[in-house]
Amino acid sequence: MGTVVQDDMFTRDVIADPYGYYGRLRDEDPVHWNDTYALWVITRHEDVTWLTRHHELFSSAVFKNDPRGAYPDIDESDLGLYEYVRNYQGDQFIQHDRPVHLDMRRIVHGYFTPKAMESWRPFVVNAVKELLDAAEEKGSMDVMRDLATPLPVLVIAQMMGVPAEDRPYVRELAEKLLYIGRGEYDRMPILTDGMKGMLEYVSPLVDERIVRPGDDFISVLASGEKKGVFTRHQVLVNTSLLLLAGHETTINLICNGTLAFLQHPSQWALYKEDPAGRAKWATEECLRYDAPVKSIQRLASQDIEVRDKVMRKDDRIRWFISSANRDPNVFAEPNKFDITRQPNPHVAFGNGVHHCLGATLARVEGQEVFKALAERFPNLQIESEELHYQPSITFRSLKSLPVIWQ
Amino acid sequence: MARKLRVWVDHNVCVGNAMCETIAPKVFRLNENRQSEAVNPEGDTVEKILEAAENCPVSAIFVEDAETGEQLFP
Repeated sequence: MGTVVQDDMFTRDVIADPYGYYGRLRDEDPVHWNDTYALWVITRHEDVTWLTRHHELFSSAVFKNDPRGAYPDIDESDLGLYEYVRNYQGDQFIQHDRPVHLDMRRIVHGYFTPKAMESWRPFVVNAVKELLDAAEEKGSMDVMRDLATPLPVLVIAQMMGVPAEDRPYVRELAEKLLYIGRGEYDRMPILTDGMKGMLEYVSPLVDERIVRPGDDFISVLASGEKKGVFTRHQVLVNTSLLLLAGHETTINLICNGTLAFLQHPSQWALYKEDPAGRAKWATEECLRYDAPVKSIQRLASQDIEVRDKVMRKDDRIRWFISSANRDPNVFAEPNKFDITRQPNPHVAFGNGVHHCLGATLARVEGQEVFKALAERFPNLQIESEELHYQPSITFRSLKSLPVIWQ
Repeated sequence: MARKLRVWVDHNVCVGNAMCETIAPKVFRLNENRQSEAVNPEGDTVEKILEAAENCPVSAIFVEDAETGEQLFP
């Protein structure tokens, strides 16, 4: 067990550069017991792929079945709020195992097929154009605030069929829901405030779609309630999941991808030669190189041995995309940002039966943003080299990304 | 007579989401790596096979008319 790697995954260094820390674990102790947070850290591509494809061994019902408390620690007076969070999160369809998970996924799966999501491309193109028009008029932009954050909210609000005037409120709620992946000691009141606000906001929309279904996503979930697959609480919570899952992840793809381009001028130059033609593989490389999600948790469904380590039933396990996507056994020169890399078997969207439902939508949004940036702002540059990330082990989130183009 | 199909799965792309196996279990089966294999292109109707292909979240399934070579999906 001779590893000397320290176990605090929230230090400034690890948050700033997860690739160094988790990369070292991948090389030295790929199935690592983190004593501080009492969980297994899985870092190799081969193991992450295997683990995510063996859903019967690794449960996704983390919030319902993990008897331990929140981590990092929360204020003791907020323990009641954490129970609320567990109950809320536990009703997300992604927090279920088969056979229930399959019944739930089948309700929503058809809405997100690659073909169905392609039909959203014109809407995305137009939304990107409007946001960049506004930025151009202003003469400068924070990619985070002015492009990456509003874009997914526009798309999701349209999918949910919420009125345009409600979008700022939906965005405000989404900001609060993002605290689920954060480490602040006092995060629970903000988070539960967002959750309660979501339930209140979505509830009348569901009432309406039950009676008058449309072609929106809430109607799809409501059809699941009619079929007896979802309870009302699950319909509400899964609407909220769409907002959260489709929001933070897309923000990170846009910001981290833009940053990768601007930190690698030769790749940016290569991309600009043919933005439309290169968008597909360049976006895949952005997803690999600086993935929006760093890690995901499971619980061991039984005692299981992996690489000579024995995991016990109900042990917490976190698998790290950030290290798997830089695994030298799979990717040549893994730390090089190479927009022509093909094939690119990154695990940014996971694998197996829980593979990200919104993957195609994220790809469409990423492709259209990078295309538009290259075509409209070929001289794009980072305004400041000083970058700050949210203290999360789930998300790889910049706090802001100011850019200039004059 | 039923149309004969050629069906295959690109293993550079397949992520083992297994929706194809759910939709057409006689046609698609996960192998030991938990990636899908088209084990029997005659195991279900053309419609079901195309439904499975369309529901693949990463578009890893390809369907052709075995006699004419006409590409039916994607």
